[in-house]
Amino acid sequence: MAPKRHAASTTSAAPSAITTPAAPKLSSGPATLKANASAAEIAQHVWHQYSSTTPQRTLLLDAFMAFLVLVGGLQFLYCVLAGNYPFNAFLSGFGAAVGQFVLTASLRMQTSDSGVGSKPSSKGKNARFADEVEEGTGTSHERAFADYIFGSLILHFFCINFIN
Amino acid sequence: MRWCLALLVCCLLAAVNALSSSGSRLLAVLEDTDQKDLYSTLWADLEARGYDVSIESPKSDQLALFKHGERAYDHLLILPPKSKGLGPSLTPKHIVDFMNKDGNILLALSGKASTSSAVSSLLLELDIHLANDRSAVVIDHFNYDTLSAAEKHDVLVLQRPGPLRTDVKAFFDGEGVLALPRVAPQTLGGESTLLAPILSAPATAYSYNPKEGVPAPEDILATGSQLNIVSSMQARNSARFTVLGSVEALEDKWFSASVKTPSGTETPTVNREFAKQLTAWAFKETGVLKVDKVEHRLATEGSELNPSIYRIKNETVYKIEVSEYVYDKWVPFELPGDDELQLEFTMLSPFHRLPLKPIGRTETSTIFSAQFVTPDQHGIFSFRVNYKRPFFTAIEEKHEVTVRHFAHDEYPRSWVITGGWVWIAGLWAVIGGFLAFVVVWLYSAPVADKLKKTQ
Repeated sequence: MAPKRHAASTTSAAPSAITTPAAPKLSSGPATLKANASAAEIAQHVWHQYSSTTPQRTLLLDAFMAFLVLVGGLQFLYCVLAGNYPFNAFLSGFGAAVGQFVLTASLRMQTSDSGVGSKPSSKGKNARFADEVEEGTGTSHERAFADYIFGSLILHFFCINFIN
Repeated sequence: MRWCLALLVCCLLAAVNALSSSGSRLLAVLEDTDQKDLYSTLWADLEARGYDVSIESPKSDQLALFKHGERAYDHLLILPPKSKGLGPSLTPKHIVDFMNKDGNILLALSGKASTSSAVSSLLLELDIHLANDRSAVVIDHFNYDTLSAAEKHDVLVLQRPGPLRTDVKAFFDGEGVLALPRVAPQTLGGESTLLAPILSAPATAYSYNPKEGVPAPEDILATGSQLNIVSSMQARNSARFTVLGSVEALEDKWFSASVKTPSGTETPTVNREFAKQLTAWAFKETGVLKVDKVEHRLATEGSELNPSIYRIKNETVYKIEVSEYVYDKWVPFELPGDDELQLEFTMLSPFHRLPLKPIGRTETSTIFSAQFVTPDQHGIFSFRVNYKRPFFTAIEEKHEVTVRHFAHDEYPRSWVITGGWVWIAGLWAVIGGFLAFVVVWLYSAPVADKLKKTQ
């Protein structure tokens, strides 16, 4: 497990080294793990890699998704413990958290893939051109965000209506 | 002025004359018109209570129970014929038809001669059975009249019957003893709820045929209190059929006789009083119930009366006014003993069966009421009161209503239910989190993008 993750983190780190200015600092950190590293070391390494290489917006998305998981989990726990009496309230409260999580996950897919998916090593110097191609085939961040807002508003409308 | 006086006199006459609740035309069938004088007190008493008594012989040509397809008489009193039948116009079929048209019948039997086969087959139609040879009398060696039947012991001296059960009103009770000479005993079919004994023989009585002597043990069908002296059958349409085992008990002679039991003293009989009670019940002067008014509505103030539609879980009030006819007037009905008038709220089967409590009374009726919540089930329901008791005419009231489900805006709002507050908070936390996320997203955007573009 550890070598694979190591490989993944290095490949993901490589393009970010080119696209972001923070790359040189990253490469100075512990880029590699020893083969016999302990679980705590691996976790610490992964966490460090994650927090140092992820863009700020993706971090924000992840934080929001964690918040949604917490809210949804608490509501489900309450339903298990206290019963589901106003069942529509449970459905819309829990459904709002799940739906928002799904929408946020889609936004994350659409906004964090574009940088990672491109292969700058093959495209070399015309990275800007490659970036433009990438944006042409996928969706722009603005468009993705607008869709996300639209979807969320519909979700909230339904949930508020359903909770009565 | 004279016209006014005439009207007043008419009103007074109507008030003085007691009248049955179902008409006053009484036909007495008496085979031997000479015997009419034997019962003169009975006829006088009946006429004093407002009956138009016409006495006919069953052989008479004019005798007909029906005229133009309708009843020609309201009540029928049949005294036992000596001949084999009651003639062509009083066949069992005619008599049953008469009952089907709400006519009341009082049939008297006698143990003096054997009962005619026509009468026996009529009684069989109603599941009332006579002794096999139809000529038995009831003998009791402990409750007989020592003055008139010192040898034969066939004149029974009995107390008037009390209530049949604790929840049945006693129509025939009172002080004093009855003299019942030469009773033809009857037994009742066990299964029918329409049959009820009015007066049963005492436990020491038995049925005996003076011509044949004591029967073999295996021939005895009933003894003691299984034998009935007076029994009644009230049909589903509340027409009444009463059988009196001893016609002689109605004779003038026994109305004013004195009797003495082996252990008691000489006392006058109360046959006349009992004959009044019996004929009054048989001809619907007593024990007649009437529903005056039925009301149902929502329990809230100012709600519509008798609406055709209710909603599930509505608080509903049902009221019913019941009167009882006692000899000449309607009086408020009182439930006998521990009996209960019940309301059913049914759709195929009852969802509620509730006691109706008396909450007040008007001049002529008692108001019974019950309050309940309509069940959590929509459909076509009916308010039902089904009160069928021995000696009372049946009450069967059915009022259909629709019960609908909640309209979409009739459910409680979610914030009213405290249990849902957690989920409401969860929903608004998600929405609030979403708004905060959008704001932070928008403010966090430019740095990365500008850098990206400048690069």
